[in-house]
Amino acid sequence: MATRTACQVVRRRFSSAAAALRPSPAEIRGHRNAVFSREQERQRALFPRIEKIEVSLRGPGLDGTLLIMNKGMSTPLSCARHLTEYHVNNSALALVDGELWPLNRPLADSCTLTLLTFNDSDPTLLNEAYWRSCSALLGQVLETAFKDDYTVELLSTPEVPVTSGAFCCDVVLDPQLDSWTPSLESLRSLTRGAQQLIHQNLAWEPLEVVSSVALEVFSHSRCKQEEVEQKASDSPKGTVMLYRCGDHVLLSGGPLVARTGLCSQYEVTAMHSLGQGPWGHHRRTQGLSLPLQLQAHHTVWRRLRQRAEKLVEAGEKPESTPPPSADSARPPASQ
Amino acid sequence: MRLTLRMLISHGRVARRMGLGPESRINMLRNILTGLVRHERIETTKVRADEVRFYAEKLIDYAKKGDTDEKAMKMASFWLTEKDLVPKLFKVLAPRFENHSTDYTRMARIPNRENLDRAQMAVLEYKGNPFPPLYPVKKENELTLINQLLKGYREERARAKLLATEA
Repeated sequence: MATRTACQVVRRRFSSAAAALRPSPAEIRGHRNAVFSREQERQRALFPRIEKIEVSLRGPGLDGTLLIMNKGMSTPLSCARHLTEYHVNNSALALVDGELWPLNRPLADSCTLTLLTFNDSDPTLLNEAYWRSCSALLGQVLETAFKDDYTVELLSTPEVPVTSGAFCCDVVLDPQLDSWTPSLESLRSLTRGAQQLIHQNLAWEPLEVVSSVALEVFSHSRCKQEEVEQKASDSPKGTVMLYRCGDHVLLSGGPLVARTGLCSQYEVTAMHSLGQGPWGHHRRTQGLSLPLQLQAHHTVWRRLRQRAEKLVEAGEKPESTPPPSADSARPPASQ
Repeated sequence: MRLTLRMLISHGRVARRMGLGPESRINMLRNILTGLVRHERIETTKVRADEVRFYAEKLIDYAKKGDTDEKAMKMASFWLTEKDLVPKLFKVLAPRFENHSTDYTRMARIPNRENLDRAQMAVLEYKGNPFPPLYPVKKENELTLINQLLKGYREERARAKLLATEA
């Protein structure tokens, strides 16, 4: 009995000490924000004098238009502002010399620019970027949803094709929450959080940084640092793209769309447990979203949402034969 | 004849009066019909197009009887003022409408004429003509986000149905 009380006292002391050692989520966010802003200012200061570049536009009705923009300061969004309000509201991503370019990233040289919208003849790349942005938004909502006592670790989001029916965000929650399963009400409150972010219409600011700066940004999270190293080794230049939305900095595997206001119908549909992994109890949160220009009728939305509640296997190509065994760690099958 | 009030009021009279009299009306319609058979799509006033429609379809009915038929040949040669269109009628237009029983023509209204009279205009065409369609068909883009989601949904339903029938 005495040992039990002694154990309890020791545990309480140690847990509070551990909690005191661990910085609060607000502090972590502030630190990441500060490093991001510093790096952004440093990159802006690389162009002290205004130099002009020529941007020629491509697209229906715009072929051959030449715009004179500032080097290192003008973004494809500012090019769209020179055109019409329709271009500003509807373009979500840009193609600069055939390469996907986020709308808020500054242009470095004279180039050809194509603005991509959701109603193009081939919006496949834009659909993938939109799906990635929705997962990023879900990750942001999850990080801010829980109380400060519980840690939330975002893992690298798997690339899921649009036809699978839902975008996913893999997350590892605090060990104290291992036995917690989310109820409908908690999913609804996550949806409300996401809708608030969409309503604020925050822009996703891209920043290309060297891996050392990225490691400094994510200095509090070991799994994020591993992700940074892996992405840096994958990319040809050894740099990593960071995105900031509001005051939340995140890592992404590809370009994201311009701003959160482009999503209109957004719902967090389910959270499935994937079992124990290297970082703890893995959970996959799934959601469904549609952009402002492609809203669905409520009957269609209800059916798509029902499908989005089912577990989405990452890395599996949709086949017409019966689906194979549920193994999410399997690499994508080559066809 | 007794000049009554009923002769001046034309309530319920469906026969239209065009031109200088009945013969003038038939001649006018004959010219318009010849133009229609030559070009397969013409633009006239709405009233004239509506009148010609009946005669155009009747002409095709006669042409379907074949060019050996005496009555059909007489009708064709009366109604088509340019005689090089008679073989076109029997050899091109009649076989085209073999499987149709009615409705060989289509009429669509267009904006009023720019002249002082602001007449109501219409386009009259034979179906199956080589020009682009009057009412363009809007193709749904299969690659938009919502269509891709629906495609995935349909495929999953098909897969589930297949599994259910196999089990």
